[in-house]
Amino acid sequence: VRYSPIVVDHFLHPRNAGLMRDADATGQHEDERCGDLTRFALRVRDGRAAEVRFQTYGCGPTIAAASVVSELSTGRTIEDLLEVSAEEVVAALGGLPDDRRHAADVAARALHGAALDYLHRRDGRSGPAGEGG
Amino acid sequence: MEEEQAMSRRVYLDHNASTPVHPEVVAAMLPFFGEVYGNPSSVHAFGRAARDAIDDARARLARFLGGRPDEIVFTSGGTESDNFGVKGLALARGSGHVITSRIEHHAVLRTCEALERQGFAVSYLPVDGQGRLDPDDVRRALRPDTLGISVMHANSEVGTIQPVAEIGAIARAHGVPLHVDAVQTFGKIPVDVDAMGIDLLSFSGHKIYGPKGVAGLYVRRGTKMVSIQHGGEHERRRRAGTENVAGIVGLAAAVDVRSREMHAEAERLAGLRDRLWDGIRSRVPESQLNGALVARLPGTANVVFRHVESESIVLGLDLKGIAVSAGSACTSGNVEPSYVLVAMGIPVDWAMGAVRFSLGRSTTAEDIDYVVDTIEPIVRKLRLASPGRAAVGATVGT
Repeated sequence: VRYSPIVVDHFLHPRNAGLMRDADATGQHEDERCGDLTRFALRVRDGRAAEVRFQTYGCGPTIAAASVVSELSTGRTIEDLLEVSAEEVVAALGGLPDDRRHAADVAARALHGAALDYLHRRDGRSGPAGEGG
Repeated sequence: MEEEQAMSRRVYLDHNASTPVHPEVVAAMLPFFGEVYGNPSSVHAFGRAARDAIDDARARLARFLGGRPDEIVFTSGGTESDNFGVKGLALARGSGHVITSRIEHHAVLRTCEALERQGFAVSYLPVDGQGRLDPDDVRRALRPDTLGISVMHANSEVGTIQPVAEIGAIARAHGVPLHVDAVQTFGKIPVDVDAMGIDLLSFSGHKIYGPKGVAGLYVRRGTKMVSIQHGGEHERRRRAGTENVAGIVGLAAAVDVRSREMHAEAERLAGLRDRLWDGIRSRVPESQLNGALVARLPGTANVVFRHVESESIVLGLDLKGIAVSAGSACTSGNVEPSYVLVAMGIPVDWAMGAVRFSLGRSTTAEDIDYVVDTIEPIVRKLRLASPGRAAVGATVGT
């Protein structure tokens, strides 16, 4: 297999996959070229992501990237989530082949969308429909 | 632990891509790497021994196809054969019109596109929902300047077998040469160039347990053709280049094995193929079989799994030791659904979840049951994580 053991592990055993009822924020991103789509839902407590769940449609690395992002963002402040970069996701996955780096990008942008959605809701403005990036 | 156990079992269901070389073929080829190494064009005994081997192979190939030995030209692969067949016809005439279908192999499609850039006209005929070309469409597409028709015998992705004999009769009636890409059917189901009205036929070795890098083009006597590869006077001046002697011997040996096994093997594979689809259909909701139900290659099953991207299924199966191929191809972040499935009118969101299973000599009923047992949880889990589109099977927790 051309993927790292971490990618394979998250693909086979995705963490935090599924829907969240009454989420405090949601965000999604779709790569228009390849159709990969990832959606995050956040439960926020004391300004931190207490619970993160995802849904995704795409290739193996896209699923693994969403799963790893759900882990690495849990417990972090919402402002901090906006700092999660595609590079950080790639590193957390133990690397991605060049032609699959978009998987990390989709996950990071979807997470940013969820974080922005939370901030908009908190500040009493209507959110940008959760579309990040 | 789970993966370790799974990896001990390996199931290869990608025989339409390539096959292992049959031991009899290997044995037949071996002397031609060491003992018989002369150049077939040399007049001395070393060369004559190689020439004899090629002549013998050519005669066996001709017999298998229902043609004559001087009608067989050996090439380096199916792609070269297709290029030779289509360009050879077109360039011999200099201008005119070619008829082909939208679901041909890229070796034909890209060749036709190249001809268009050189001023030729090409009609790319549609296919129906099962991937079948309508012979009447071929008839209607004929023009006074039509120089040739090129259709595949069976499609590599979905396995649908084209009505080649009917198209051959139309071609005959109008005096238009017919080229048939038979790379996926040669040695799998009967091919008879006379009975089917075929003037040019591409065939290859590595899809039928022969070696890679050797193939051929049947060229009916009297067909106006030009060479596309120039050099020495090999292959009756039709294809320059020292012959791949060991490969040609291997190709003929593979054909010998297929002559013995083809009919029983076709029946066995069709049974396993149907067992696979029956298993998937009963276990995995929202799956669909693509291609013709009856007129289909015995070992080919193309299945779409809705709400899931095929590449993730391929990866999931690969991690369990099962080799299949994805219907959609993701290259550098661009996903292209299969042009064959799109031409068949299958919605893009379905086509994205297409997986091709192609069975072969080594495939057993136990393999098929293992694949069905393995794929069901893979698709179920992927659908659970799939957004919105996936109400299916979403009752089980992660």
